[in-house]
Amino acid sequence: MTHLSGGDVPIDGRLRLFAALLGAIFAIFELRLFQLQVVEAQELRERALRNSVRTVRLEAPRGEIVDREGRTLADTRSARELSVVPNDLQRKEVTFAALAQLLERDVAELGERVGSPRGNARFRPVRLVGDLDYVQLARIETHRFALPGVGTHVRPLRNYPHGPLGAHVLGTLGEVRGDQLEKEAYADHRAGDVIGQTGLEAELESTLRGVAGGRNIVVDAAGREVEELERVEPEPGSRVVLTLDLDLQRAAWEAFHDVPDGEPPKMGSAVAIDVHTGDVLALVSLPAFDPNAFAGGIDAATWKALTGDEWDPLQNRAVQNHYPPGSTHKVIVAAALLEEKVITPQSRVFCPGFFRYGGRSYRCWKKEGHGSVDLIRAIQQSCDVFFYTYGVQLGIDRMARIAKGFGLGQPTGLGLSGETTGLVPSSEWKQRRFGERWYPGETVSASIGQGYNLYTPIQLAVSYAAIASGEQIQPRLVLRVEGKDGVYEAPPAKRHPVPVAPEHLAWVRRGMTAVVEEPGGTGMRARVPGVRVAGKTGTAQVVRLEHTEGMKEHEIPVRHRDHAWFGAFAPADAPDIAVGVFVEHGLHGSSGAGPVAQRILARYFEKRGMTAPVQAAAAPQRAP
Amino acid sequence: MLSIDRRVFQHFDWLLLGLVLAVLGIGLANLFSATQAGVEHGLPTEFRRQLAAVALGAVAVVVLLTVDYRRLERWAPALYAAALLLTASTLVLAPVTRGNRSWLVYGPLSLQPAEFAKLGLVLLMARWFHRHPPGLVRRLRDLFVPGLILAGPVAVIVLQRDLGVAVLTLLIGATYLLFVRIPARAWSVVGAAGLVALAGLWSYVFKDYQRKRILDFLDPTRDPLASGYQAIQSRIAVGSGGLTGQGYLEGPQTQLQFLPTQHSDFAFSVLAEEWGFVGCSVLLLVYLSLLVWGLVVASNSKDGFGSMVAIGVVAMLFWPAAINVAMVLGLAPVIGVPLPLVSYGGTQVLANLIGLGLLMNVSMRRYIF
Repeated sequence: MTHLSGGDVPIDGRLRLFAALLGAIFAIFELRLFQLQVVEAQELRERALRNSVRTVRLEAPRGEIVDREGRTLADTRSARELSVVPNDLQRKEVTFAALAQLLERDVAELGERVGSPRGNARFRPVRLVGDLDYVQLARIETHRFALPGVGTHVRPLRNYPHGPLGAHVLGTLGEVRGDQLEKEAYADHRAGDVIGQTGLEAELESTLRGVAGGRNIVVDAAGREVEELERVEPEPGSRVVLTLDLDLQRAAWEAFHDVPDGEPPKMGSAVAIDVHTGDVLALVSLPAFDPNAFAGGIDAATWKALTGDEWDPLQNRAVQNHYPPGSTHKVIVAAALLEEKVITPQSRVFCPGFFRYGGRSYRCWKKEGHGSVDLIRAIQQSCDVFFYTYGVQLGIDRMARIAKGFGLGQPTGLGLSGETTGLVPSSEWKQRRFGERWYPGETVSASIGQGYNLYTPIQLAVSYAAIASGEQIQPRLVLRVEGKDGVYEAPPAKRHPVPVAPEHLAWVRRGMTAVVEEPGGTGMRARVPGVRVAGKTGTAQVVRLEHTEGMKEHEIPVRHRDHAWFGAFAPADAPDIAVGVFVEHGLHGSSGAGPVAQRILARYFEKRGMTAPVQAAAAPQRAP
Repeated sequence: MLSIDRRVFQHFDWLLLGLVLAVLGIGLANLFSATQAGVEHGLPTEFRRQLAAVALGAVAVVVLLTVDYRRLERWAPALYAAALLLTASTLVLAPVTRGNRSWLVYGPLSLQPAEFAKLGLVLLMARWFHRHPPGLVRRLRDLFVPGLILAGPVAVIVLQRDLGVAVLTLLIGATYLLFVRIPARAWSVVGAAGLVALAGLWSYVFKDYQRKRILDFLDPTRDPLASGYQAIQSRIAVGSGGLTGQGYLEGPQTQLQFLPTQHSDFAFSVLAEEWGFVGCSVLLLVYLSLLVWGLVVASNSKDGFGSMVAIGVVAMLFWPAAINVAMVLGLAPVIGVPLPLVSYGGTQVLANLIGLGLLMNVSMRRYIF
C-alpha cells in the first residue's frame, strides 16, 4: 500500500531497503554478542573475576629552574607516597591499625582521611602520606603483603634546595582551582593537578609543565599491579635558566639576616640588576617562606600561619608593594633641575636648617643647617633645603615628566604578576584622583620624595640603573629556556634613553659618588674596597613626626619606624650593576639599607676579583 | 477542534504501545540495577528521575494523541525554530560540563535541548519532503533547502562542542537521502570530491598540533587512555555475562561500578552482564521490531507527511541505538551517545517518547482522511 500525496514514485521499495539495513545491522550485533558472550565468555568471565583495569597517570617531571651559572634553584625529586584504594581494603580496621603503628600516626586520623567513599570514588587512591621518609618506606615495604589495598608510588615532587632563598621569584605550586579549570589556558589540566600558582612557577607554567602521560594497568583483587596494557610516556617540562646569580641572591639574603643576636631579620627587599642587559641578578623579599611547604600540597597550619602573619611573608615586596621613596628621589629631581635648566651644576643655596614657603616652615633633616651647598654637596649630604628651593621653581609637572622617563610610576615589566605601578604625582593626577588642584606647598614635600610619590624596590633599581647608563631598561628574569625543541634565548631587554642629557647625568653621578666615597657623605656604609661606588640614601617617614618626636629609636613601635632606602651602582665611573635596597621600618637609609647594598656589591666585585672576599657566610635557614 | 473521531481509538496501535512499554520496562529495570549499588534505603536518585521523565513523557504522549498530526505540519517551522533557539541559548546560558556546553540548568532541573532540536528537525524535514516528495527529488541542487534545514541544528550542536550529538543529528537528517532519486553517479562525484578535499587538507595542510587542536575542539573530552579503559571494561562486562547472564542485580562488574558511565552510555553492558546473550537478544529483537514497525507505519500512512514523520522518528531511535550498541560491543569508538529509552537521561527519554507519540498518532489516523 502506498499513499503518497503529490508524488507518483512509491517509497515502499526504499522502506524495504531501510528495513533490510536495520536487520543486517542488528544481525551483526547478534553475531558480536555471540562471539563475546558465548565464544569468549569463559576467558572474559575469568578476567572479570581476577582482574580489573585502572588508569594511572604518569606525571611529567616539571622543568628544572637554574641560576645563570646553572646552579639548581628548583628541581624535581622522587618522593614516595603512600596511598590506599578504599575498594581494595579488605579488613579495614586491621589495616589501619597496622598502618598507624608503622607510620606512627593516629588510627582515627587515617580513617578520617580515607572516609567511606561511594561509587567510583572507591577506586580512586587516597593519599595518606605525600613524602615517606626512608624508615617509613622500609617498614611499609617489609609488611607489604599484610596490607592489601595499600601501595607506595614514586611521584615527582618539586624541590627547592635553597628553601626560602628566592622564594618570591620562584613562587609556589598548588592544586589547580575550579575557576582556573574553566579557563582555556588550563584546558589540559584536571582537578587535583598541581600547577604553579605564584611567581615564575605560575608565569612559566606552560613551559615548565611538560605533558603528562599515563598507563592502563591490570590490578588483582588486592590492588596489586599485574600487567600493563598501554603506556603513553610523559614529556618532561623545559629547563629554565634565570638571570639570577645564586651568590648575589645569597649575599642579599644574608645581609637582611645580619642583625644583632636575638633580633629578627630585617624586612624589606633588595634587587640587583645588570645595567647593560637588564638581567636581574638578585631579588629578595623578606620576610619569606619556604616554597617546599607548598610543593606537596600545603598543610592547613602552615597556610594559616603564612596568611595570618601581620608582615605578610607571601607578598613580594620588590614588585607587589610600593613605599614613599624619601631622599632617594632627590637624584631624580637633581637630573630634572639640570635638564630643565632650573640650575647649573654650580648653583648654590644657603641652608639654615629650614625653608620658608607659603607662610610655612619646612625643616631640613639637619637642624643646624648645611650652610652654603652646591648640587654635589646637596646630593652628598642629602640637603633638603637645596631641593625645596629649586623644586618649587621646577614645579611638579616637569618633575613628573622626568621621573616617568626613568621608569617610575609604571610597572617595570619584569614578568612577575601583580606588579604594582608605584606613583609619580602630577597636577593632572591630583585633579583626576582627588578633583583638586595641585598646591605649590605640595611640591616642596615632593622635592624630597616625601609627598605622594611611591616606588617599588625594583623601580628604584631600574631608575638608578638608568642614571648609571642613560637608558631605562626593562628588567628580565629569564635568560634562556632549554626544551626538547631546542634552546630559546630571551630577546634583549627593551630599553629607551632617559629624557636627560648625558652631561647632566654625569653631574648627578658625581654627587652620588660623593655620597659613598667622600667624607661627610651619607652612604659611606656602602663602600667596597677597590671599587668606587655611587649611591643615595633615603629615609621615608611612616608616621607624622609628632608621633615619634623625642622617643629613642628602640622605643618607637616597629610599625612607626621610618623606612630605609639605598640605591647604588658601581663602579661609579663605568657602572655595571645597580642595586635597590628597601628595609621596611629600617630607620635610616645609611645604617639600615646601606650595608645590604654593600654586601651585594662586595660579593659581585669579589667574584670578578676586584675586591677582597668578605667573611664566609652561613647558609639560610629552611624555615620561614 | 478537540472533538476526536471515535475511529481513532478503534485503530489505536496497541502493538506499537506494547513494544514501547517493553523497551521502557527493560530500561528501567536495568537502570535500577546499574544505580542501586551502595544505596541503602529508598530508590536511587537516577532511577527516580528517570521514572519522573517517563511519567512526563506519558502525559506528553496522551496530549499529543488528541491533536491530529497533520496540524503539526503547519506548526513545523515554528516548532523547529523554537527548538533551535532553545538549543542555541545554551551557548550563552549553559555552564561548561565535562568540556562541552549543551545543558540548560535551572535549579534541580537540567535539560539537553539538542534532543528537542532533533524533533524539530524531523518535523520540518517531513514537511519539506511532503511538499517535495523524495521520489521526485532527482538533482543534487534540489537538496539545497533540506541541507539548510539540517545545517541549523548541526552547526549549533558543533558550537556546543558535543561531537556525538552533532554526528547523530547529521545522520538523522541524512536518513531521508535513502528515499531520494538522485543518480548514483552524482553521489559518487560529490562524495569523492569531498573525501579527497578533506583527506588532502587533513594530511598535507594541517600540522600535527592543528590536527590535535581540531580533534580537541570537536571533542574536548577526548582522552585515549580513558576511552581505552572504558572499552576494555565494557568488553569484560559484556563477555562475563555469558549465555544467560550473572543474574539481575548480580553482575560483579556492574555492582562494583567499574564502568564510569554505566547507567548512561554503558547501560547496555550492564544488561549484557546481568542477562547474558539471551537478555541482550531479547532487547535487540524488541528494538528491531519497534523500528521495523515504525517503517510499516510509514508505509501505511495515509499521507506523505505521516510517512516522512514516521521515517524521521525511526531514524531518531535507530542511529543512537546502533552507535551505542556498537560502542559497547567494541565495534565503534567510545563517543557519548545514549541508548534511547534505556540509558539514564530525562531529556532523551522525554524527546524519544514524544517522537514515539508522533508515530502512534500517524498510525492510529491511518484510515482517517
